[in-house]
Amino acid sequence: MENELNYTAAFEELQQIVRDMEDGEITVDELALKVKRAAELIKICKNKLTSTEEDVNLILKELEG
Amino acid sequence: MSENRQIFSLQQVVSSIRKTIEERYQSSYWVKAEMHKLNLYPSGHAFPELVQKENDKIVAQINASIWNHNFQRINKQFIEVVKEPLKEGTTLLLNVKVVFHETFGLSLQILDIDPNYALGELQREREETLKKLQAERLINANQLLDFPLLPKRIAIISADTSKGLSDFMKVLNNNPWNYQFFTMLFQAYLQGDVAAPSIIEQLKRIEKVKQHFDVVVIVRGGGGEVGLSCYNNYELCKAIASFSLPVLTGIGHSTNMTVAELVAFRNAITPTELADFLLQTFHDFSVPVNDARKVLCSSSDRILERANQLFSAETKHYKNSATNYLLESKNSLLLTSQQFKNEAKSLLAHNREHLHFAQKECSNYSNRLFKLNRERIAEYVVQLQLKFINRLGKEQQQLSEMENMVRLMDPKNVLKRGYSITTINGQTIQKNNQAEIGDNITTITFDFELTSTLIKKEENGE
Repeated sequence: MENELNYTAAFEELQQIVRDMEDGEITVDELALKVKRAAELIKICKNKLTSTEEDVNLILKELEG
Repeated sequence: MSENRQIFSLQQVVSSIRKTIEERYQSSYWVKAEMHKLNLYPSGHAFPELVQKENDKIVAQINASIWNHNFQRINKQFIEVVKEPLKEGTTLLLNVKVVFHETFGLSLQILDIDPNYALGELQREREETLKKLQAERLINANQLLDFPLLPKRIAIISADTSKGLSDFMKVLNNNPWNYQFFTMLFQAYLQGDVAAPSIIEQLKRIEKVKQHFDVVVIVRGGGGEVGLSCYNNYELCKAIASFSLPVLTGIGHSTNMTVAELVAFRNAITPTELADFLLQTFHDFSVPVNDARKVLCSSSDRILERANQLFSAETKHYKNSATNYLLESKNSLLLTSQQFKNEAKSLLAHNREHLHFAQKECSNYSNRLFKLNRERIAEYVVQLQLKFINRLGKEQQQLSEMENMVRLMDPKNVLKRGYSITTINGQTIQKNNQAEIGDNITTITFDFELTSTLIKKEENGE
Protein backbone atom coordinates (compact mmCIF):
# COMPACT_ATOMS: atom_id res chain seq x y z
CA MET A 1 0.00 0.00 0.00
CA GLU A 2 3.06 2.22 0.50
CA ASN A 3 3.53 2.51 -3.25
CA GLU A 4 -0.06 3.28 -3.88
CA LEU A 5 -0.04 6.04 -1.28
CA ASN A 6 2.98 7.47 -3.01
CA TYR A 7 1.47 7.68 -6.42
CA THR A 8 -1.90 8.76 -5.09
CA ALA A 9 -0.11 11.49 -3.17
CA ALA A 10 2.03 12.36 -6.17
CA PHE A 11 -1.02 12.54 -8.43
CA GLU A 12 -2.97 14.68 -5.97
CA GLU A 13 -0.05 17.02 -5.43
CA LEU A 14 0.34 17.35 -9.18
CA GLN A 15 -3.37 18.12 -9.60
CA GLN A 16 -3.10 20.74 -6.86
CA ILE A 17 -0.19 22.47 -8.56
CA VAL A 18 -2.07 22.46 -11.86
CA ARG A 19 -5.16 23.92 -10.18
CA ASP A 20 -3.07 26.60 -8.49
CA MET A 21 -1.45 27.50 -11.79
CA GLU A 22 -4.76 27.66 -13.60
CA ASP A 23 -6.23 29.79 -10.85
CA GLY A 24 -3.24 32.11 -11.03
CA GLU A 25 -2.28 31.33 -7.45
CA ILE A 26 1.38 30.94 -8.30
CA THR A 27 3.74 33.87 -8.40
CA VAL A 28 6.73 34.19 -10.65
CA ASP A 29 8.95 33.64 -7.62
CA GLU A 30 7.41 30.23 -6.97
CA LEU A 31 7.02 29.33 -10.60
CA ALA A 32 10.39 27.72 -11.22
CA LEU A 33 10.16 25.69 -8.02
CA LYS A 34 6.61 24.56 -8.74
CA VAL A 35 7.36 23.61 -12.31
CA LYS A 36 10.39 21.62 -11.16
CA ARG A 37 8.29 19.84 -8.55
CA ALA A 38 5.55 19.17 -11.09
CA ALA A 39 8.08 17.68 -13.48
CA GLU A 40 9.26 15.35 -10.72
CA LEU A 41 5.69 14.36 -9.93
CA ILE A 42 4.93 13.71 -13.59
CA LYS A 43 8.01 11.52 -13.74
CA ILE A 44 6.91 9.61 -10.64
CA CYS A 45 3.42 9.14 -12.07
CA LYS A 46 4.76 8.03 -15.45
CA ASN A 47 7.09 5.56 -13.76
CA LYS A 48 4.18 4.17 -11.82
CA LEU A 49 2.39 3.44 -15.06
CA THR A 50 5.28 1.57 -16.59
CA SER A 51 6.92 -0.28 -13.73
CA THR A 52 6.03 -3.01 -11.27
CA GLU A 53 7.60 -3.53 -7.90
CA GLU A 54 6.04 -6.65 -6.44
CA ASP A 55 8.04 -9.78 -5.86
CA VAL A 56 6.27 -13.07 -6.55
CA ASN A 57 8.66 -15.04 -4.38
CA LEU A 58 7.97 -12.81 -1.41
CA ILE A 59 4.20 -13.27 -1.84
CA LEU A 60 4.61 -17.02 -2.14
CA LYS A 61 6.66 -17.06 1.05
CA GLU A 62 3.96 -15.12 2.83
CA LEU A 63 1.30 -17.49 1.51
CA GLU A 64 3.17 -20.44 2.94
CA GLY A 65 3.85 -18.84 6.24
CA MET B 1 -40.77 -74.82 15.01
CA SER B 2 -43.22 -76.70 12.94
CA GLU B 3 -42.16 -79.78 10.92
CA ASN B 4 -44.46 -79.06 8.02
CA ARG B 5 -43.02 -75.66 7.39
CA GLN B 6 -42.67 -74.43 3.78
CA ILE B 7 -39.22 -73.42 2.72
CA PHE B 8 -38.58 -70.96 -0.17
CA SER B 9 -35.42 -70.30 -1.95
CA LEU B 10 -34.13 -66.74 -1.76
CA GLN B 11 -34.72 -66.40 -5.46
CA GLN B 12 -38.32 -67.46 -5.02
CA VAL B 13 -38.75 -64.73 -2.40
CA VAL B 14 -37.10 -61.89 -4.25
CA SER B 15 -38.86 -62.95 -7.46
CA SER B 16 -42.12 -62.80 -5.62
CA ILE B 17 -41.30 -59.37 -4.27
CA ARG B 18 -40.35 -58.21 -7.73
CA LYS B 19 -43.58 -59.61 -9.18
CA THR B 20 -45.64 -57.92 -6.48
CA ILE B 21 -43.92 -54.63 -6.95
CA GLU B 22 -44.17 -54.81 -10.71
CA GLU B 23 -47.86 -55.45 -10.41
CA ARG B 24 -48.36 -52.70 -7.86
CA TYR B 25 -46.21 -50.00 -9.56
CA GLN B 26 -46.91 -50.46 -13.21
CA SER B 27 -46.84 -46.82 -14.31
CA SER B 28 -44.22 -44.16 -13.75
CA TYR B 29 -44.55 -41.28 -11.24
CA TRP B 30 -43.32 -37.74 -10.93
CA VAL B 31 -41.35 -37.40 -7.72
CA LYS B 32 -39.73 -34.36 -6.17
CA ALA B 33 -36.41 -35.28 -4.52
CA GLU B 34 -32.96 -33.99 -3.87
CA MET B 35 -30.21 -35.72 -5.77
CA HIS B 36 -27.77 -36.18 -2.94
CA LYS B 37 -25.14 -38.05 -4.96
CA LEU B 38 -25.01 -38.61 -8.72
CA ASN B 39 -22.62 -41.57 -8.75
CA LEU B 40 -21.88 -41.50 -12.46
CA TYR B 41 -19.91 -44.52 -13.54
CA PRO B 42 -17.53 -44.81 -16.47
CA SER B 43 -20.02 -47.12 -18.10
CA GLY B 44 -22.25 -44.10 -18.53
CA HIS B 45 -24.81 -45.38 -16.08
CA ALA B 46 -25.53 -43.30 -13.00
CA PHE B 47 -26.74 -44.49 -9.64
CA PRO B 48 -27.89 -41.43 -7.78
CA GLU B 49 -28.86 -41.29 -4.12
CA LEU B 50 -32.18 -39.55 -3.68
CA VAL B 51 -33.16 -38.02 -0.37
CA GLN B 52 -35.83 -35.85 1.15
CA LYS B 53 -34.77 -33.55 3.92
CA GLU B 54 -36.79 -31.75 6.50
CA ASN B 55 -34.91 -29.25 8.64
CA ASP B 56 -31.66 -30.71 7.33
CA LYS B 57 -32.65 -34.16 8.50
CA ILE B 58 -33.06 -36.92 6.01
CA VAL B 59 -36.59 -38.24 6.29
CA ALA B 60 -36.57 -40.46 3.20
CA GLN B 61 -33.80 -42.01 1.16
CA ILE B 62 -33.62 -44.37 -1.78
CA ASN B 63 -31.13 -45.36 -4.43
CA ALA B 64 -31.89 -44.67 -8.05
CA SER B 65 -30.49 -45.48 -11.44
CA ILE B 66 -30.22 -43.73 -14.75
CA TRP B 67 -29.21 -45.87 -17.63
CA ASN B 68 -26.66 -44.61 -20.00
CA HIS B 69 -29.00 -43.68 -22.85
CA ASN B 70 -31.42 -41.91 -20.47
CA PHE B 71 -28.59 -40.07 -18.78
CA GLN B 72 -27.22 -38.78 -22.09
CA ARG B 73 -30.64 -37.50 -23.16
CA ILE B 74 -31.50 -35.96 -19.80
CA ASN B 75 -28.13 -34.28 -19.42
CA LYS B 76 -28.31 -32.83 -22.93
CA GLN B 77 -31.76 -31.44 -22.23
CA PHE B 78 -30.53 -29.96 -18.98
CA ILE B 79 -27.60 -28.25 -20.55
CA GLU B 80 -29.83 -26.81 -23.24
CA VAL B 81 -32.47 -25.49 -20.91
CA VAL B 82 -30.79 -24.95 -17.55
CA LYS B 83 -27.26 -24.28 -18.84
CA GLU B 84 -26.11 -26.69 -16.18
CA PRO B 85 -25.34 -30.40 -16.20
CA LEU B 86 -27.06 -32.57 -13.69
CA LYS B 87 -25.48 -31.84 -10.39
CA GLU B 88 -25.59 -33.04 -6.87
CA GLY B 89 -27.34 -31.26 -4.10
CA THR B 90 -30.20 -29.89 -6.15
CA THR B 91 -33.85 -30.63 -5.88
CA LEU B 92 -35.24 -32.14 -9.05
CA LEU B 93 -38.56 -33.24 -10.45
CA LEU B 94 -38.00 -36.81 -11.54
CA ASN B 95 -40.08 -39.18 -13.58
CA VAL B 96 -39.39 -42.54 -11.95
CA LYS B 97 -40.45 -46.12 -12.05
CA VAL B 98 -40.23 -48.31 -8.98
CA VAL B 99 -38.14 -51.35 -9.84
CA PHE B 100 -36.94 -54.28 -7.95
CA HIS B 101 -34.05 -56.37 -9.08
CA GLU B 102 -33.27 -59.75 -7.68
CA THR B 103 -29.68 -58.90 -6.92
CA PHE B 104 -29.64 -55.09 -6.70
CA GLY B 105 -32.81 -54.72 -4.68
CA LEU B 106 -35.29 -51.90 -4.64
CA SER B 107 -34.55 -48.71 -6.51
CA LEU B 108 -36.13 -45.94 -8.51
CA GLN B 109 -35.33 -46.02 -12.17
CA ILE B 110 -35.14 -42.44 -13.45
CA LEU B 111 -36.69 -42.08 -16.86
CA ASP B 112 -36.72 -38.36 -17.16
CA ILE B 113 -35.97 -35.17 -15.22
CA ASP B 114 -37.90 -31.95 -15.81
CA PRO B 115 -35.31 -29.32 -16.76
CA ASN B 116 -37.78 -26.46 -16.30
CA TYR B 117 -38.30 -27.37 -12.69
CA ALA B 118 -34.53 -27.40 -12.23
CA LEU B 119 -34.35 -24.02 -13.89
CA GLY B 120 -36.90 -22.72 -11.43
CA GLU B 121 -34.91 -24.21 -8.61
CA LEU B 122 -31.77 -22.45 -9.81
CA GLN B 123 -33.68 -19.23 -10.12
CA ARG B 124 -34.91 -19.79 -6.60
CA GLU B 125 -31.35 -20.32 -5.36
CA ARG B 126 -30.30 -17.10 -7.08
CA GLU B 127 -33.17 -15.20 -5.48
CA GLU B 128 -32.38 -16.71 -2.12
CA THR B 129 -28.72 -15.74 -2.34
CA LEU B 130 -29.70 -12.20 -3.28
CA LYS B 131 -32.21 -12.03 -0.45
CA LYS B 132 -29.70 -13.26 2.11
CA LEU B 133 -26.98 -10.86 0.97
CA GLN B 134 -29.50 -8.04 1.01
CA ALA B 135 -30.50 -8.93 4.58
CA GLU B 136 -26.83 -8.94 5.57
CA ARG B 137 -26.30 -5.60 3.78
CA LEU B 138 -23.56 -7.16 1.72
CA ILE B 139 -25.05 -6.64 -1.74
CA ASN B 140 -22.99 -3.56 -2.56
CA ALA B 141 -20.34 -3.91 0.16
CA ASN B 142 -17.60 -4.54 -2.40
CA GLN B 143 -18.82 -1.74 -4.65
CA LEU B 144 -18.49 0.73 -1.77
CA LEU B 145 -14.75 0.14 -1.50
CA ASP B 146 -12.42 2.83 -2.81
CA PHE B 147 -11.09 1.87 -6.18
CA PRO B 148 -7.32 2.28 -6.37
CA LEU B 149 -6.10 5.09 -8.58
CA LEU B 150 -3.92 2.60 -10.43
CA PRO B 151 -5.08 -1.04 -10.19
CA LYS B 152 -1.69 -2.31 -11.23
CA ARG B 153 -1.23 -5.27 -8.90
CA ILE B 154 -3.77 -7.87 -9.85
CA ALA B 155 -4.58 -11.17 -8.15
CA ILE B 156 -6.15 -13.32 -10.83
CA ILE B 157 -8.48 -16.14 -9.98
CA SER B 158 -8.65 -18.32 -13.05
CA ALA B 159 -7.29 -21.50 -14.54
CA ASP B 160 -4.12 -21.50 -16.59
CA THR B 161 -5.91 -23.43 -19.30
CA SER B 162 -8.71 -20.91 -19.54
CA LYS B 163 -9.04 -19.05 -22.81
CA GLY B 164 -10.49 -16.19 -20.80
CA LEU B 165 -7.22 -15.88 -18.88
CA SER B 166 -5.11 -15.82 -22.03
CA ASP B 167 -7.42 -13.19 -23.59
CA PHE B 168 -7.15 -11.12 -20.44
CA MET B 169 -3.36 -11.38 -20.24
CA LYS B 170 -2.94 -10.65 -23.93
CA VAL B 171 -4.79 -7.35 -23.65
CA LEU B 172 -2.91 -6.36 -20.50
CA ASN B 173 0.55 -7.32 -21.69
CA ASN B 174 0.31 -6.11 -25.28
CA ASN B 175 -0.98 -2.66 -24.50
CA PRO B 176 0.76 -0.14 -26.77
CA TRP B 177 1.24 2.40 -23.95
CA ASN B 178 3.64 0.10 -22.10
CA TYR B 179 1.57 0.17 -18.95
CA GLN B 180 2.99 -2.47 -16.63
CA PHE B 181 0.81 -4.70 -14.49
CA PHE B 182 1.87 -7.09 -11.82
CA THR B 183 -0.28 -10.24 -11.99
CA MET B 184 -0.32 -13.43 -10.01
CA LEU B 185 -2.52 -16.37 -10.83
CA PHE B 186 -4.49 -18.16 -8.14
CA GLN B 187 -5.67 -21.37 -9.77
CA ALA B 188 -9.26 -22.37 -9.27
CA TYR B 189 -12.04 -24.36 -10.86
CA LEU B 190 -14.25 -21.96 -12.71
CA GLN B 191 -17.44 -23.89 -13.26
CA GLY B 192 -19.52 -26.66 -11.81
CA ASP B 193 -20.03 -27.63 -8.22
CA VAL B 194 -16.33 -27.58 -7.42
CA ALA B 195 -15.95 -23.95 -8.53
CA ALA B 196 -17.50 -22.19 -5.52
CA PRO B 197 -15.36 -23.81 -2.78
CA SER B 198 -12.29 -23.57 -5.01
CA ILE B 199 -12.74 -19.86 -5.66
CA ILE B 200 -13.55 -19.19 -1.98
CA GLU B 201 -10.36 -21.00 -1.02
CA GLN B 202 -8.29 -18.79 -3.33
CA LEU B 203 -9.98 -15.64 -2.03
CA LYS B 204 -8.89 -16.70 1.46
CA ARG B 205 -5.31 -17.13 0.23
CA ILE B 206 -5.35 -13.72 -1.42
CA GLU B 207 -6.68 -12.20 1.79
CA LYS B 208 -3.46 -13.34 3.48
CA VAL B 209 -1.29 -11.35 1.06
CA LYS B 210 -3.71 -8.62 0.13
CA GLN B 211 -1.20 -5.85 0.87
CA HIS B 212 0.54 -6.89 -2.35
CA PHE B 213 -2.54 -6.39 -4.48
CA ASP B 214 -4.83 -3.63 -5.61
CA VAL B 215 -7.65 -5.69 -7.07
CA VAL B 216 -8.84 -9.26 -7.54
CA VAL B 217 -10.18 -10.39 -10.88
CA ILE B 218 -12.11 -13.56 -11.63
CA VAL B 219 -11.80 -14.40 -15.29
CA ARG B 220 -13.23 -17.28 -17.21
CA GLY B 221 -14.22 -17.89 -20.75
CA GLY B 222 -14.10 -20.25 -23.62
CA GLY B 223 -15.49 -23.11 -21.59
CA GLY B 224 -19.04 -22.80 -22.88
CA GLU B 225 -21.89 -21.44 -20.90
CA VAL B 226 -22.56 -24.51 -18.82
CA GLY B 227 -22.01 -24.83 -15.11
CA LEU B 228 -22.18 -21.17 -14.22
CA SER B 229 -24.87 -21.46 -11.59
CA CYS B 230 -22.05 -21.79 -9.06
CA TYR B 231 -21.74 -18.02 -9.40
CA ASN B 232 -25.09 -17.79 -7.66
CA ASN B 233 -23.78 -19.80 -4.74
CA TYR B 234 -24.47 -17.95 -1.55
CA GLU B 235 -21.11 -18.71 0.10
CA LEU B 236 -19.16 -17.62 -2.97
CA CYS B 237 -21.20 -14.46 -3.48
CA LYS B 238 -20.80 -13.58 0.18
CA ALA B 239 -17.03 -14.12 -0.03
CA ILE B 240 -16.85 -11.80 -3.04
CA ALA B 241 -19.16 -9.13 -1.64
CA SER B 242 -17.36 -8.96 1.69
CA PHE B 243 -13.83 -9.14 0.27
CA SER B 244 -11.59 -6.30 1.36
CA LEU B 245 -10.23 -5.56 -2.13
CA PRO B 246 -12.35 -4.69 -5.13
CA VAL B 247 -13.27 -7.91 -6.96
CA LEU B 248 -13.77 -7.59 -10.72
CA THR B 249 -15.44 -10.30 -12.74
CA GLY B 250 -15.10 -11.23 -16.39
CA ILE B 251 -16.82 -14.54 -16.55
CA GLY B 252 -17.87 -14.39 -20.13
CA HIS B 253 -21.38 -15.55 -20.82
CA SER B 254 -24.56 -14.31 -22.37
CA THR B 255 -27.17 -15.55 -19.93
CA ASN B 256 -28.60 -13.64 -17.00
CA MET B 257 -26.09 -11.93 -14.79
CA THR B 258 -25.13 -14.11 -11.86
CA VAL B 259 -25.19 -12.85 -8.28
CA ALA B 260 -21.38 -13.00 -8.11
CA GLU B 261 -21.19 -10.56 -11.02
CA LEU B 262 -23.89 -8.45 -9.46
CA VAL B 263 -22.08 -8.00 -6.15
CA ALA B 264 -18.60 -7.66 -7.68
CA PHE B 265 -17.08 -4.18 -7.68
CA ARG B 266 -17.38 -4.23 -11.43
CA ASN B 267 -18.49 -6.79 -13.96
CA ALA B 268 -17.29 -7.01 -17.51
CA ILE B 269 -19.01 -9.14 -20.11
CA THR B 270 -15.73 -10.74 -21.13
CA PRO B 271 -12.16 -11.02 -19.80
CA THR B 272 -11.05 -8.84 -22.73
CA GLU B 273 -13.47 -6.12 -21.73
CA LEU B 274 -12.25 -6.37 -18.15
CA ALA B 275 -8.65 -5.90 -19.27
CA ASP B 276 -9.75 -2.92 -21.36
CA PHE B 277 -11.40 -1.46 -18.29
CA LEU B 278 -8.13 -1.77 -16.34
CA LEU B 279 -6.21 -0.13 -19.16
CA GLN B 280 -8.81 2.62 -19.19
CA THR B 281 -8.12 3.34 -15.51
CA PHE B 282 -4.46 3.73 -16.45
CA HIS B 283 -5.53 6.11 -19.19
CA ASP B 284 -7.66 8.00 -16.72
CA PHE B 285 -4.55 8.44 -14.64
CA SER B 286 -2.19 9.05 -17.50
CA VAL B 287 -4.31 11.56 -19.42
CA PRO B 288 -4.58 14.05 -16.54
CA VAL B 289 -0.83 13.67 -16.02
CA ASN B 290 -0.24 14.53 -19.68
CA ASP B 291 -2.80 17.30 -19.46
CA ALA B 292 -1.07 18.54 -16.34
CA ARG B 293 2.13 18.81 -18.32
CA LYS B 294 0.41 20.84 -21.03
CA VAL B 295 -1.34 23.04 -18.48
CA LEU B 296 1.95 23.54 -16.68
CA CYS B 297 3.61 24.71 -19.87
CA SER B 298 0.81 27.03 -20.97
CA SER B 299 0.24 28.37 -17.47
CA SER B 300 3.95 28.98 -17.00
CA ASP B 301 4.04 30.87 -20.29
CA ARG B 302 0.99 32.86 -19.29
CA ILE B 303 2.39 33.73 -15.85
CA LEU B 304 5.74 34.73 -17.33
CA GLU B 305 4.12 36.75 -20.08
CA ARG B 306 1.90 38.53 -17.59
CA ALA B 307 4.91 39.27 -15.40
CA ASN B 308 6.75 40.49 -18.45
CA GLN B 309 3.92 42.78 -19.46
CA LEU B 310 3.65 44.17 -15.97
CA PHE B 311 7.37 44.69 -15.88
CA SER B 312 7.58 46.48 -19.22
CA ALA B 313 4.56 48.63 -18.31
CA GLU B 314 6.24 49.42 -15.04
CA THR B 315 9.53 50.19 -16.83
CA LYS B 316 7.76 52.52 -19.26
CA HIS B 317 5.96 54.19 -16.41
CA TYR B 318 9.22 54.55 -14.53
CA LYS B 319 10.97 56.02 -17.56
CA ASN B 320 8.23 58.58 -18.08
CA SER B 321 8.16 59.46 -14.43
CA ALA B 322 11.92 59.81 -14.32
CA THR B 323 12.00 61.99 -17.46
CA ASN B 324 9.24 64.19 -16.10
CA TYR B 325 10.91 64.45 -12.78
CA LEU B 326 14.22 65.37 -14.38
CA LEU B 327 12.55 68.00 -16.56
CA GLU B 328 10.73 69.46 -13.60
CA SER B 329 13.90 69.48 -11.54
CA LYS B 330 15.80 71.14 -14.36
CA ASN B 331 13.18 73.86 -14.74
CA SER B 332 13.01 74.38 -11.06
CA LEU B 333 16.80 74.61 -10.90
CA LEU B 334 16.86 77.10 -13.77
CA LEU B 335 14.25 79.21 -12.07
CA THR B 336 16.07 79.08 -8.78
CA SER B 337 19.36 79.96 -10.43
CA GLN B 338 17.74 82.93 -12.19
CA GLN B 339 16.20 84.04 -8.93
CA PHE B 340 19.52 83.61 -7.20
CA LYS B 341 21.28 85.62 -9.85
CA ASN B 342 18.76 88.46 -9.57
CA GLU B 343 18.83 88.36 -5.81
CA ALA B 344 22.61 88.36 -5.81
CA LYS B 345 22.75 91.28 -8.24
CA SER B 346 20.34 93.36 -6.22
CA LEU B 347 22.06 92.42 -2.98
CA LEU B 348 25.40 93.34 -4.49
CA ALA B 349 24.08 96.69 -5.71
CA HIS B 350 22.58 97.35 -2.33
CA ASN B 351 25.79 96.47 -0.59
CA ARG B 352 27.86 98.52 -2.93
CA GLU B 353 25.68 101.51 -2.22
CA HIS B 354 25.89 100.82 1.45
CA LEU B 355 29.65 100.53 1.22
CA HIS B 356 29.89 103.73 -0.75
CA PHE B 357 27.88 105.50 1.84
CA ALA B 358 29.99 104.01 4.62
CA GLN B 359 33.13 105.04 2.81
CA LYS B 360 31.86 108.54 2.54
CA GLU B 361 30.83 108.55 6.17
CA CYS B 362 34.18 107.20 7.13
CA SER B 363 35.98 109.81 5.08
CA ASN B 364 33.94 112.67 6.55
CA TYR B 365 34.39 111.36 10.01
CA SER B 366 38.11 110.92 9.64
CA ASN B 367 38.47 114.40 8.15
CA ARG B 368 36.58 115.79 11.05
CA LEU B 369 38.62 113.83 13.50
CA PHE B 370 41.78 114.83 11.74
CA LYS B 371 40.87 118.45 11.86
CA LEU B 372 39.92 118.22 15.47
CA ASN B 373 43.15 116.56 16.37
CA ARG B 374 45.17 118.98 14.38
CA GLU B 375 43.58 121.83 16.25
CA ARG B 376 44.16 120.07 19.49
CA ILE B 377 47.82 119.45 18.56
CA ALA B 378 48.28 123.09 17.64
CA GLU B 379 46.85 124.02 20.96
CA TYR B 380 49.21 121.56 22.65
CA VAL B 381 52.14 123.04 20.74
CA VAL B 382 51.33 126.49 21.99
CA GLN B 383 50.94 125.25 25.52
CA LEU B 384 54.12 123.22 25.21
CA GLN B 385 56.06 126.22 23.97
CA LEU B 386 54.81 128.28 26.84
CA LYS B 387 55.65 125.60 29.35
CA PHE B 388 58.99 125.02 27.74
CA ILE B 389 60.02 128.69 27.92
CA ASN B 390 58.88 128.85 31.48
CA ARG B 391 60.74 125.75 32.39
CA LEU B 392 63.84 126.81 30.52
CA GLY B 393 64.07 129.97 32.57
CA LYS B 394 63.83 128.01 35.80
CA GLU B 395 66.39 125.51 34.67
CA GLN B 396 68.82 128.26 33.61
CA GLN B 397 68.59 129.83 37.01
CA GLN B 398 69.14 126.52 38.78
CA LEU B 399 72.00 125.75 36.49
CA SER B 400 73.84 128.97 37.19
CA GLU B 401 73.37 128.40 40.93
CA MET B 402 74.82 124.96 40.58
CA GLU B 403 77.66 126.29 38.43
CA ASN B 404 78.60 128.54 41.24
CA MET B 405 78.49 125.76 43.74
CA VAL B 406 80.59 123.55 41.48
CA ARG B 407 83.10 126.31 40.97
CA LEU B 408 83.31 126.67 44.71
CA MET B 409 83.84 122.96 45.15
CA ASP B 410 86.57 122.57 42.48
CA PRO B 411 89.78 121.01 44.14
CA LYS B 412 91.81 123.68 42.38
CA ASN B 413 90.23 126.20 44.63
CA VAL B 414 91.20 124.03 47.61
CA LEU B 415 94.63 123.43 46.16
CA LYS B 416 94.91 127.16 45.70
CA ARG B 417 94.44 127.49 49.33
CA GLY B 418 97.49 125.25 49.87
CA TYR B 419 96.02 121.83 50.13
CA SER B 420 97.33 118.82 48.15
CA ILE B 421 96.02 115.48 47.08
CA THR B 422 98.15 112.36 47.39
CA THR B 423 97.36 109.41 45.11
CA ILE B 424 98.69 106.05 44.27
CA ASN B 425 97.98 104.53 40.95
CA GLY B 426 95.81 107.54 40.10
CA GLN B 427 93.54 107.18 43.16
CA THR B 428 93.48 108.77 46.58
CA ILE B 429 95.05 106.80 49.32
CA GLN B 430 92.44 105.33 51.61
CA LYS B 431 91.93 102.19 53.53
CA ASN B 432 91.02 100.25 50.43
CA ASN B 433 93.82 101.81 48.33
CA GLN B 434 96.75 101.77 50.58
CA ALA B 435 100.39 102.65 49.83
CA GLU B 436 103.13 100.45 51.13
CA ILE B 437 106.68 101.46 52.10
CA GLY B 438 108.76 101.85 48.95
CA ASP B 439 105.78 102.62 46.71
CA ASN B 440 105.85 105.65 44.47
CA ILE B 441 103.13 108.10 45.44
CA THR B 442 102.02 111.20 43.59
CA THR B 443 101.22 114.42 45.32
CA ILE B 444 99.17 117.04 43.40
CA THR B 445 99.38 120.67 44.33
CA PHE B 446 97.88 123.73 42.64
CA ASP B 447 100.99 124.26 40.66
CA PHE B 448 102.81 120.91 40.69
CA GLU B 449 102.62 117.27 40.51
CA LEU B 450 105.20 115.67 42.80
CA THR B 451 106.32 112.03 42.79
CA SER B 452 107.88 110.61 45.98
CA THR B 453 108.78 107.36 47.56
CA LEU B 454 107.01 106.41 50.81
CA ILE B 455 109.39 105.92 53.59
CA LYS B 456 107.18 106.01 56.58
CA LYS B 457 103.61 105.19 57.23
CA GLU B 458 101.54 105.83 60.24
CA GLU B 459 97.92 105.28 60.72
CA ASN B 460 95.90 108.32 61.69
CA GLY B 461 94.71 108.04 65.20
CA GLU B 462 91.26 109.35 64.50
